[in-house]
Amino acid sequence: MESALSSEDFAKYPFLKQASKQIEELQFTIGSLASEKPIFNRALERVNKAILDVNTGEMVKDRATEISSFAASLIIIIATKNSWIKKRYALAVAKTAHTQMLQPGTTKEKIESIAKDFDWDIADGKPYKDFRIGFSVYLKNAAHMHGSEWKLVNQIMDKGNVYLNKDKVVRLLQEEVRRRVEKRLDVSEIKNLPGEITSIAEELMKLAQEIMGQEIEEMPKIVIQAAFPPCINALYADAAQAHHLSHIGRFTLTSFLVNIGMTPEGLNDMFKTFSDYNERLTRYQIEHIAGERGSGTKYTCPQCSVLQTHGVCKNKDDLCRSIYHPLRYYQRKQKSLNSGSNFGKTN
Amino acid sequence: MEASREYVFQKFAEYYQDPSSVIPATSRPEQREFGYLMFKERFMVRHRRFADFNNFRAMLSDTVPSDVYHSCAYYENPDYDMDKKCWLGADLVFDIDADHIPTDCDKIHDEFKCAKCGFSGRGLPLEVCPCCEATKFEYKTWPCERCIQSARNETAKLLDMLENDFGFSQDELHVYFSGHRGYHVHVENEVVRTLDAMARKEIVDYVTGLGIAVLDKEAKEPRRKKGAGAKKFSLHDFGWNRRLKLGMAEFLQKATKEDLKAVGLKNKVLVDDKETIIKRAINEGKWESIKGVSVQTWLNLAEYVRDQQSSKIDTVVTTDIHRLIRMNGTLHGKTGLKKVEFPAKNLQDFDPFTGAVAFKKGKMKVLVSDAPEFRMSGETLGPYKNQTVELPVAAAVMLICKRRAEVAQ
Repeated sequence: MESALSSEDFAKYPFLKQASKQIEELQFTIGSLASEKPIFNRALERVNKAILDVNTGEMVKDRATEISSFAASLIIIIATKNSWIKKRYALAVAKTAHTQMLQPGTTKEKIESIAKDFDWDIADGKPYKDFRIGFSVYLKNAAHMHGSEWKLVNQIMDKGNVYLNKDKVVRLLQEEVRRRVEKRLDVSEIKNLPGEITSIAEELMKLAQEIMGQEIEEMPKIVIQAAFPPCINALYADAAQAHHLSHIGRFTLTSFLVNIGMTPEGLNDMFKTFSDYNERLTRYQIEHIAGERGSGTKYTCPQCSVLQTHGVCKNKDDLCRSIYHPLRYYQRKQKSLNSGSNFGKTN
Repeated sequence: MEASREYVFQKFAEYYQDPSSVIPATSRPEQREFGYLMFKERFMVRHRRFADFNNFRAMLSDTVPSDVYHSCAYYENPDYDMDKKCWLGADLVFDIDADHIPTDCDKIHDEFKCAKCGFSGRGLPLEVCPCCEATKFEYKTWPCERCIQSARNETAKLLDMLENDFGFSQDELHVYFSGHRGYHVHVENEVVRTLDAMARKEIVDYVTGLGIAVLDKEAKEPRRKKGAGAKKFSLHDFGWNRRLKLGMAEFLQKATKEDLKAVGLKNKVLVDDKETIIKRAINEGKWESIKGVSVQTWLNLAEYVRDQQSSKIDTVVTTDIHRLIRMNGTLHGKTGLKKVEFPAKNLQDFDPFTGAVAFKKGKMKVLVSDAPEFRMSGETLGPYKNQTVELPVAAAVMLICKRRAEVAQ
């Protein structure tokens, strides 16, 4: 199939494989990057806008400069070695592309070409919707999205295809773009960077620190049982009465408590008071979840949708309806307890 | 007891040492983790790699495990520790086990005994002992035909969804009797191989009908414009909406007032006007034209149908992308029956008590403590209570494995 994409599109969507080819042809080198002023300035603007506003700013008129500035921006970001900046930038590129694709001028053919750049199984969705895509392509991009409208069970599904309109397809493509950019940024180091880039990377780190500081919500320092979500209360009550907990139930309870700041010792002491206690097994599981054994990864507690699938979600209340994760419930609930507000109640 | 275990071990050994025993090789054995439970020591050997199937057969005949598994996952290094294996993908697997589904026999053949006070009885698993409030029990289960039929019905619903909604051909669906009380379905297709746990969770929710938007009674309704009518009920013609429609029509077609009552529906219009409902509401989508049936009643009916149409799979198995699953052609330590594959179209006709029988020759005298009537290789046997009988080897092995019999001295 002949591509419906023009060089203007490569400037809009510089992460496409075909756009990368053009960058190769433009042949700028890492060493000369800082001296290519128009490219370098546009690259810096992209990164700054991404950190501040989660988009990549206004495109410049010269397409070659615009396309090259994307490649240059990746080098600058990798130089920061900062995972938050990397994620933020990938999201900004993806969101900007999403806005572009939603423009009325973006034809179905164009969207199909972009999707095919990601090896999507996509075709016209007549007579039901704009497009149909293979269910596994759908799941790879939609499974992590929240909200009932994204659940597979609520899609028009027939013979392995999911039928969707343009707005949904474009939103799924945003996920695809984000992952591709994240992957391209997943480089630990670039050797022989010009000094100018290293010092700019340091500046960007400072800027990122400021923004990050505003966004991180702290966990309360002490454990507040009154702020536990209903599912955790139910598991806690079952454990306290020595009822059998399923593997996922035990994992949920332990990982929740580890994540809200209980120490392995504290947890072990708590489980000791339960009648069905096996010290060796309990200690092993706690230490494993807390990342003190095995791979060293600290496990986070499963999100609400996972708990629903396995029947661990119980006694849903109003606050549950506005959150996606038991830890988020805990943060919001303790905040409302502290302020004495009516947060979490509905009108 | 020792003599009985030894007898079963000998039989398992004969099976694994006989070159004519059919144990099909897995696809991509070099990328899978193998694991097995040691017969006598009762511990699980894991993280084994068998790139060469001959070595695997040699292990089976040398070790004679009680249960044999392989990962549904593919790894770069299947024999390394979990965090160094390097996951490449996994088959999509489903497990339907009578243990997890309500059956019309109510598991009356299963026995439980409190580990603390010894209180015992029959039927479904208990949470708490009524005598001493302990929560640990010993269970003796039984692979009854009605249990297996229930599992078969759930499997049929799953296969229908995998074919019609997910678009897999029958050739792509590997269906197995598990060797105990259920079925496994494996999909080894490029399309699903790299799906992560969250994507598989969505497939599970689809199969179990969890989160269907039209059934969400608590969902916040969008603000209606002035003059708009009351909340409406409607279904379209695809995926789950189609299933609900077909299921509602099928249920109403046959339903009596007693059937409705049994599922908590009291509106007699549903029975009296069933023909009109099926034609005008279900087929033509004019739900509001049926007088005297509220949106709530339609929802209740649809919810009941969802529970009937969904397939009761084990949700944990399908979402676990590192799962070990019993290997085709190997013996189940709880029955001595084989896990065995059969074509998807033969689901209703495949008889586990013939097709999964591993021991076809010989007889053995056993003292049976308690066994209901059962079939094995075409013979109907039992019921037995505290009696010594000579049984076909397959039947004797199953009763010993189920702790219902011992080798007669």
